Amino acid sequence: MSCGNHHDTPCSQILEVIYLYLDNEDCNMERALVAQHLIECGPCNEEFGLEQVLKSAILRSCQPEVAPVAIYERIVAQIADIQVEITRVQKHT
Amino acid sequence: MATGLITRPKYGVTIKEVKSISMSKSQAPDADPIESELAEFELDELDSNPKISAAEAAKLTARFEQDALPLLDVIYAGALRMTKNPADAEDLVQETFAKAYRSFKTFEEGTNLKAWLFRILTNTFINQYRKNQRGPAVDPTEQIEDWQMARAERHTSGGLKSAETEALENLPNEVISNALLSIPEDFRNVVYMADVDGFSYKEIAEIMDTPVGTVMSRLHRGRKLLRELLEDYAYENGFIKERKS
Repeated sequence: MSCGNHHDTPCSQILEVIYLYLDNEDCNMERALVAQHLIECGPCNEEFGLEQVLKSAILRSCQPEVAPVAIYERIVAQIADIQVEITRVQKHT
Repeated sequence: MATGLITRPKYGVTIKEVKSISMSKSQAPDADPIESELAEFELDELDSNPKISAAEAAKLTARFEQDALPLLDVIYAGALRMTKNPADAEDLVQETFAKAYRSFKTFEEGTNLKAWLFRILTNTFINQYRKNQRGPAVDPTEQIEDWQMARAERHTSGGLKSAETEALENLPNEVISNALLSIPEDFRNVVYMADVDGFSYKEIAEIMDTPVGTVMSRLHRGRKLLRELLEDYAYENGFIKERKS
């Protein structure tokens, strides 16, 4: 697979690792090589740009949730219960 | 109730319930660090004499309150995504934190606590809420070929990608979250964990107890489906003027 132009790294290899590159994972090749290709190659660059926009769109679409205060209180109370349960009974002196 | 701090009417997960859940989980030994850590704490729970001194317990609680409780909001968000309703999400979160506290002494400081809590959250959810809902297993290699081929096709077809990118940038949040809700659960969860929670593939694999290859294939499939849904929406609603042939 090629866009028709010559690149040091073929488009097919770049497209294989494009998610790895996007997600900051190990690409099995130098990240600099991928970056270089993305600068040189219009179609790959557009492809990458689209994936990048999708990734950030997903993030922005998820508003941060705030847990209700009641659940916090329940958890704290439950932890207190468990703490008692797992504590060795101390002998009074 | 030992502390009398707060009355917990119907929500309280009793300690017996928590124990029975952890007992019902299979405990295959594994070389995976998080895996064996979890197996270990589950064994700890079964220990007939797990008691610690009052000072140790107080220290454990203080550390838990300082490190784990601040993650309540993200864990709640994760639970809400899984259960899709606040009441179930609250129960799930409470159970998750109870289990996490019981095993907190086995948590290795310096490792990712958020990932560790997510692992407990996911396990609890699977055990409790979707025992009979697991979808068919996907073959990772086959799926990766799928997305690579689709990608290759698009690569040569060229054309309107900038318009697509621009449309995607302009789509309202609600459209994107609705599209997310309409893709299969396993795909959606991986997409959330990678793009919203910021976990690495390896962390997601540990949380979901699947190979990294499966994580990648689910991520590819999920993103591909999302892209298709959003592109369709963009064309149908005038975010992109001309449909590609």
